[in-house]
Amino acid sequence: MTAVSRPRPAAVPYVREVVREVVPVPAREPSDAEVARRFCAGDEQALAEAYERWAGQVHGLAVRAFGPGPDAEDVTQQTFVAAWTGRAGYSAAAGPLPAWLVGICRHKIADTWAKMARQRRSAEAAAADVRSRPDPTDTARVDDAVADRVLLLGELDRIGQPQRRIIELAFFADLTHTQIAARTGIPLGTVKSHIRRTLERLRDRLEVDGAALHP
Amino acid sequence: MPHSTPEQLALAALGEPLPDADAAHLAGCAQCSAEVAALRRPVDLLAVPELAGTATEVTPPPQVWTAIAAATGVSAAPPSSGAEVVPLRPRRSRTRWLTLAAAVLVGGVVGGAAVALTRDDDTGGAVVATAALDPLPAEDASGRAEVRDADGTRSLQVDLDAPSLPDGYYEVWLLQPDAIRMVPVGVVHRGDTVLPLPDGLDLGAYPVVDVSVEPMDGDPTHSGVSVARGSLQR
Ligand SMILES: [Zn+2]
Repeated sequence: MTAVSRPRPAAVPYVREVVREVVPVPAREPSDAEVARRFCAGDEQALAEAYERWAGQVHGLAVRAFGPGPDAEDVTQQTFVAAWTGRAGYSAAAGPLPAWLVGICRHKIADTWAKMARQRRSAEAAAADVRSRPDPTDTARVDDAVADRVLLLGELDRIGQPQRRIIELAFFADLTHTQIAARTGIPLGTVKSHIRRTLERLRDRLEVDGAALHP
Repeated sequence: MPHSTPEQLALAALGEPLPDADAAHLAGCAQCSAEVAALRRPVDLLAVPELAGTATEVTPPPQVWTAIAAATGVSAAPPSSGAEVVPLRPRRSRTRWLTLAAAVLVGGVVGGAAVALTRDDDTGGAVVATAALDPLPAEDASGRAEVRDADGTRSLQVDLDAPSLPDGYYEVWLLQPDAIRMVPVGVVHRGDTVLPLPDGLDLGAYPVVDVSVEPMDGDPTHSGVSVARGSLQR
C-alpha cells in the first residue's frame, strides 16, 4: 500500500517566527461560580467559557480511558452536550460545575465501555470460526463489570450531599477517610458513617440489580 | 474480640489499614471477611484508574468544540481566541510591520454548522455569518464580508472599498485567531466579489476574514501585508 503524504491544506505556516504581545485582558474574568450561574441560566457564552476552562480536565479523563482519538473526543463532546441540555439538573449546592462535568464524563466513559462490549459481542457472534472466539466466560465477566459500573454510577447520582462528595473523594481521589475529613471539614466520625452507609447502599444495588453472577 | 464495627469493615473494603486488633479479628472471622468482600465489590468496580479524577489535562482538538456547538446550536466561541494582538511577520524584508489585531472581539463568533440562518435572498443563499471589515492601522481599506449557504454550498461575498493598486492585488483569507494558520479564499476586487468556500471548512476555527495586498511575485503565501480585517459574527 502506498502512503501519500500530503500537506494539511488548512495549514499555511508561512510565518516562521511570530512575536506575540499579549494585551492585558481588560475585564476581569468571571469567577467559576459566575460561569456556573450563567451556564445554568442558559447563557451560550457560559457554555463556551465552561468549555474553555474545563474541557482539558474532561478530555484528560477521556484520553486516559480510551487514549487520544475519536472515542475520547466523543466522550468529551457528549459530556458537554449532556451538561448543556441537562443544565437544569445542576445545583451549585451540590458542588462546583467542573466536578459535575467530571461526573457526567464518568458516565459517558462507562457508557462507551458498555457500547464497546455490545459491539464486541456482535462481532463475536458474527465470527465464522467459533474456535477463534475468546473464552465466553471471560467475555461475560468483562461485560458484567461494564454493566455494573453503569449501574453504580447511576446510583451515585442519586446520593445526596455530602455523602456523594465523600465517596467520590474515596473512590476517585484515593483519599483516606482522615484526608476526606480534613479536606471537607466534616467530622471524622461522620465521614466514616457516611462511607459505610454509601458502600452498603451500593452493595445492595449490585445485589439487587447487578449483572454479575452472585456466588 | 467482638466483630469489627461496620465502619471499620467499610474502611477495610476501601483498602484502608485497620487498627491491629481489627486486622487480627478480620483475619480469623468469616462473617466479617464476607462483609468486607461484599462491600469491596463497588469499590473494585468504581475505584479504577480510568475513572479517577486526577488525570492530566488534555486540550481537545478543535473539532470537539465544533461538534458541541453544532449539537447544542450554540454559536459562541470559547474565549481563548480573544485579547491577543498578533503581528504578522512579513515573509521577507519589508518596510513596515503591521501590527494586527487578530483579536476576536467580544461577542459571539460563528461556530461551524451551528449557525442560525438570518435571512435569505435570491443572490446565492442564506446569509449565515457576516463580518465588518475594518481598516488596519494606517490603511484605508474597509468593507463587509458575508458567508452564504445555498443548499450546503457556502460562499464568501466580499464588498471591498479600497484604493486601486498600481501593481499587485487584494486577496482574502480566513485566519485562525492566532493569525498563524489560514486558508486562502481567493482574489478579491474592489466592489463585490463572490468566492466559493472549501467544503468542510470550519468557520469556527477560522473566524477572521483578512484582506491582504499581494505583489505579483508568484508567491502563493500571504504577503504579511493586511489592510482590513473582521471577525465573522452570526
Ligand atoms: Zn467478625
